[in-house]
Amino acid sequence: MSLAAEAFVSQIAAAEPWPENATLYQPLKEDQILLSDSASSLAVQTFLRMCGLPVLVSCRANAEYMSPSGKVPFIHVGNQVVSELGLIVQFTKAKGHSLSDWLDDVQRAEMKAYMELVNNMLLTAELYIQWCDDYTATEISRPRYSSPYSWPLNHILAYQKQWEVQRKMTAIGWSGKSLEQVYEDVSQCCQALSQRLGTQPYFFNKQPTELDALVFGHLFTILTTQLTNDELAEKVKSYTNLLSFCHRIEQAYFKEHDRESQSGSLHHSKGSLP
Amino acid sequence: MAEPMELLCWGGDWDLPSVHTDSLIVLAYAKFSGAKLAVKSIDWTWRTITASVPQLHYEASTVTEPTQILNFLRKQRFNADYELTAKQGADTMAYIALLEEKLRPALLHTFWVDADNYANLTRPWFTSHSPFPLNFFVPGRQASLALSRILLTKAESPLLNITEVEGKIYSEAKECLNLLSHRLGNFHFFFGDTPTSLDAFVFGHIAPLIKAPLPSGQLQKHLNQLDNLCQFCNTILKNYFNASAEKRTDCSPTAIHDPVDANLQKLTQLVNKESNLIEKMDDNLRSSPQHRPHRH
Repeated sequence: MSLAAEAFVSQIAAAEPWPENATLYQPLKEDQILLSDSASSLAVQTFLRMCGLPVLVSCRANAEYMSPSGKVPFIHVGNQVVSELGLIVQFTKAKGHSLSDWLDDVQRAEMKAYMELVNNMLLTAELYIQWCDDYTATEISRPRYSSPYSWPLNHILAYQKQWEVQRKMTAIGWSGKSLEQVYEDVSQCCQALSQRLGTQPYFFNKQPTELDALVFGHLFTILTTQLTNDELAEKVKSYTNLLSFCHRIEQAYFKEHDRESQSGSLHHSKGSLP
Repeated sequence: MAEPMELLCWGGDWDLPSVHTDSLIVLAYAKFSGAKLAVKSIDWTWRTITASVPQLHYEASTVTEPTQILNFLRKQRFNADYELTAKQGADTMAYIALLEEKLRPALLHTFWVDADNYANLTRPWFTSHSPFPLNFFVPGRQASLALSRILLTKAESPLLNITEVEGKIYSEAKECLNLLSHRLGNFHFFFGDTPTSLDAFVFGHIAPLIKAPLPSGQLQKHLNQLDNLCQFCNTILKNYFNASAEKRTDCSPTAIHDPVDANLQKLTQLVNKESNLIEKMDDNLRSSPQHRPHRH
């Protein structure tokens, strides 16, 4: 969004309180959603739960096309539609709910830096594994992505998406990487997160912030999603404090809510956390 | 004695050892860690189009990409991060990711996509530093790579043309610079008194922005207001690259006038931004379908 549009939206946003019927849209849980989208969606859901804001999760086959920026998930609140965690955080802040107000400038800089690290490394690695690794793309990503559509549209859309992601990987220089290098990068990223977390309950000690939501979203999805092999999950599992971090957040924010929404989000998975 | 390591990189100008961000990162890290590098510039050779710069040659192995080169140097026991704690090492990775995501697109735009800068500064420089006939191709190729990178990573469907993406990437870059400035505070380097790889990365990104004589540089103006970052850059240049001392003293008298002007500038910019925003909001409101015009 341009600067002026953003300012305009936050003006309007500040005017109304959070409605009861706020909805979050994502692709179909059972058949369509992929690892990276599922991770982003879980991150947003966790963030909203941490803020104590109610949101209904609605699964649509065309969620990606409904979204204003082409990325899922997106939330529909009142008469506004906002997608992507960064913008959603700004939007909720304009409505007066924020998790990171109490941070000082240096801490906020750190938080933003770590969020970029997760986006840069984990999300890009997830996209690479899904779309640039031939085996995974053929066995899992293309069939799932195109499952709501009939022939020949399903082939066209799946290949189009694959080429788009591959072009993006080339632009940022990841196309030359091998799968081992990508796993290595994920491992380093998890090591950095693990070292930052240390023995604290959350990344900024006592209270959760959007960084915790983002990290939880990605790590939980990696741990509970079945891919062609388990290497990605193994890399994450080797850091025990990250595992206990995920357990803790799952217990705190997801167990006491609807069983059905939780088990839904763990769908094509091995069940709950090991 | 093993033969020295050879680094291929773009040449220098404007007081800098190299005008290319990635090359600067490697050069700075080498100085910080005490590695002796034989620096060969690729200017005026055919390597301007064939080589991916920077490139490190050592005993028949070749390493490219700053992160890989830094890892290689660390394995050769040239480690500037030796004294960092585990948490600081994690912070380094995070801040480097921040730089890549937020600052790099705006830098690419400032140097390669902005018409004014490209035509008056970047293209002439790279053209004059490439041999014939490559001088016709090299700048254009770099520019199109830069544009495609920006569009593929930053432009999502509502922002279909470059002008709307510009606003977004510049505001993100300014925020990133502010965050770096907050993190640096009053220290000489990011982790205490000795420079580390994070300092090399930050230096590599901001030094060209500070030193290049850009005709239209809103990001440069913003950066010049962040005194501690400019100080950081100059300190590294002075201590590690032995830049000419006279240039330093030239800058200092003007630095005294800067605080007053800088404040006035900031205020004027804010007022301008406000009035622009108000104008745009007004326009948006008038053209929005909810606002029924009373004319036919």
